[in-house]
Amino acid sequence: MGILLAVLSPLSFVNSHLLRIGRAIGIVAVALMVVAILIQVVFRYVLNNALPWPDEAARFCMLWMTGLMAPTAFRRGGFVAIDMLGQALPRLLSSLLSLLLLIISLAVLVIAVQIGYAEVTGFGGKFATASLYVPGNVSLTEWIRVPRSWMMMSIFVGVILLTLVNIELILRNLVSTFGGTERLPALPDVDMAGAD
Amino acid sequence: MLIWFLPVFLVFLMIGLPVFFGLLAAPGMLLWLNGQERDITLLYRNVYNGMDSFPLMAIPFFMLAGELMNKGGITLRLVEFSQALMGHLRGGLAHVNILSSMLFAGLSGSAVADTSALGSMLIPAMEKQGYTRRFAAAVTAASSVIGPIIPPSGIMIIYAYVMGESVAALFLAGIVPGVMVGVGLMLMVRFMADKYDLPKAQRIVNPGQSMAPVEFWFSFVVLRVNLAGLATVLAVMAASGMGFAAFSTTVTLLLFLIMMVLSHFLLLRLRGVVSSDFRIVCKKAVAPLQTPIIILGGILLGVFTPTEAAAVAVAYALLIGFFVLHSLKPGEIPGVLNRAGITSAVVLLLVGAAMAFKTVVSLSHAPEIMAEFVLTLSENPLILLFLINLLLFVVGMFLDAGPAIIILGPILGPIFTSMGVDPIHFAIIMSVNLTIGLATPPMGLVLFVAASVSKERVETIAKAILPFLAVEIAVIFLITYIPALSMTIPRWTGFAN
Repeated sequence: MGILLAVLSPLSFVNSHLLRIGRAIGIVAVALMVVAILIQVVFRYVLNNALPWPDEAARFCMLWMTGLMAPTAFRRGGFVAIDMLGQALPRLLSSLLSLLLLIISLAVLVIAVQIGYAEVTGFGGKFATASLYVPGNVSLTEWIRVPRSWMMMSIFVGVILLTLVNIELILRNLVSTFGGTERLPALPDVDMAGAD
Repeated sequence: MLIWFLPVFLVFLMIGLPVFFGLLAAPGMLLWLNGQERDITLLYRNVYNGMDSFPLMAIPFFMLAGELMNKGGITLRLVEFSQALMGHLRGGLAHVNILSSMLFAGLSGSAVADTSALGSMLIPAMEKQGYTRRFAAAVTAASSVIGPIIPPSGIMIIYAYVMGESVAALFLAGIVPGVMVGVGLMLMVRFMADKYDLPKAQRIVNPGQSMAPVEFWFSFVVLRVNLAGLATVLAVMAASGMGFAAFSTTVTLLLFLIMMVLSHFLLLRLRGVVSSDFRIVCKKAVAPLQTPIIILGGILLGVFTPTEAAAVAVAYALLIGFFVLHSLKPGEIPGVLNRAGITSAVVLLLVGAAMAFKTVVSLSHAPEIMAEFVLTLSENPLILLFLINLLLFVVGMFLDAGPAIIILGPILGPIFTSMGVDPIHFAIIMSVNLTIGLATPPMGLVLFVAASVSKERVETIAKAILPFLAVEIAVIFLITYIPALSMTIPRWTGFAN
């Protein structure tokens, strides 16, 4: 129990901070998405000029928003699941069941991290995006196309964060199975708008 | 062999694995057992490519617009407007609850948002008037399912994307079924009002309200622009229907100006008919109710795509929240963005996983195998539609509408379209049925929210909601067997064949 808590508390600390940064960037990404699409509409109708980049830029932001904000939802129990069986079982069996479920999730995530790394560093990532540019030097005289790997990185980062959260959740589950629920660091409730 | 991923997936789902992981773990496992390790990479790619989509962006945007609209006095304005229209009937506040849900449905695409916003306001008000709390909570929950049926609708965006249909067509097809659910519930309230002697309410709750000049002039102009715009569009359509050549921009503009003047005088004439309190309540509802007009009008006239319409709705919500109604504070914006971002991130991951799942569904020939099985039950599409509605209803009891739709759509959709059911019609059957499932026990998201808002037990609400569910089930069967109910508007506007 002591060892579990000793591993859990630094991980919990790191996750809290990483996810807070993720949410902050996510908030900016959502705002930028709206701005990009509004620019698209305004340019098309008011200035009669269909811009090529807002579509891709907004998708870029949306992917990063997903990668950076979904782990927060996972950590706070916001992933949709049918939890009737877990609620019906006695406490010990129920925590063993959720341990099993977390291990299955972890398996999915670990494989996803491996594939994600191969994808980002692989052939597909070498291509450039169609219309996004960044300055190639300090004096802004040269502009280079954003590589696709920057976009693909979003979900890779997301999967890594999800894995970290998953490990934290497994440790929390073990601690509470051994009766140490009151010693767990508190997690805030998920604050979601509801998609349905 | 690969087809076994479906039962494996079901087991995962039943033991409580989050849907996102289940959608990937089950097909992944079977691909691995089948020696198709390479296709597991394909799963990952499909998750990514599935999320990298312009139409899907409408989900965060509509969520954001709904959240922004929800802040400040907009809910109150809609409720007061509904009450001015229907409060004087017997069972007044129950009618108000349903009508507010229908109006709210035009601003937000979510039943959960509807329940929490309207429930926290109307359930205490209904209790004060002598309704039981369980009845108030049941009416709120039952009417909230209209939220995702009347456009905009998060569920329909997801369905349209996963199944490759047009979002606009689905939105338009949802209008009549949504109104039918609302009217059906009102009829049931009317019936119960006679039986249980439900009270009437006043039409005007807060008499003697005033309006800030900005809002007054805003609603003054917007109302006339809407009326004139509608009249112009109808006139242009009538002219082209009668064989006249298309009007030039100048002529159309002139026509619009004439209509503006005409609508001004029409509204002046209407002024005398109603009390000044009634007028002010109506004027205060103009700004919020402009949102569905912008969204639907924009999509119908081909001005923008649903995604752009959603972004414009966000801009409009910000504009009126800050400058017209002063209901928003800059400090609230990050919180709203955060909520909308987190919620849509979960939905997007789910949609991505569903796209990956869908590839395995087609690789495994699941729809063909299912279709063969289904056809052994009956070859009559009418009976099969009945059975499918039963299946969807049972699934809806256990699973939320969004996940259910992305899991079942790719499997069931192809079976029925190959039997000649219009894909849009089938989409509406699925969406309406599964949305109503949000209010059915034992697992109904809307029931849970209604329970937490009203502090009443879920089981009690689940019992009180039964008469309303009966109405909703009747609506499901009506739209299943009378395709014209959902298909007329999209066909008439050219968004469906």
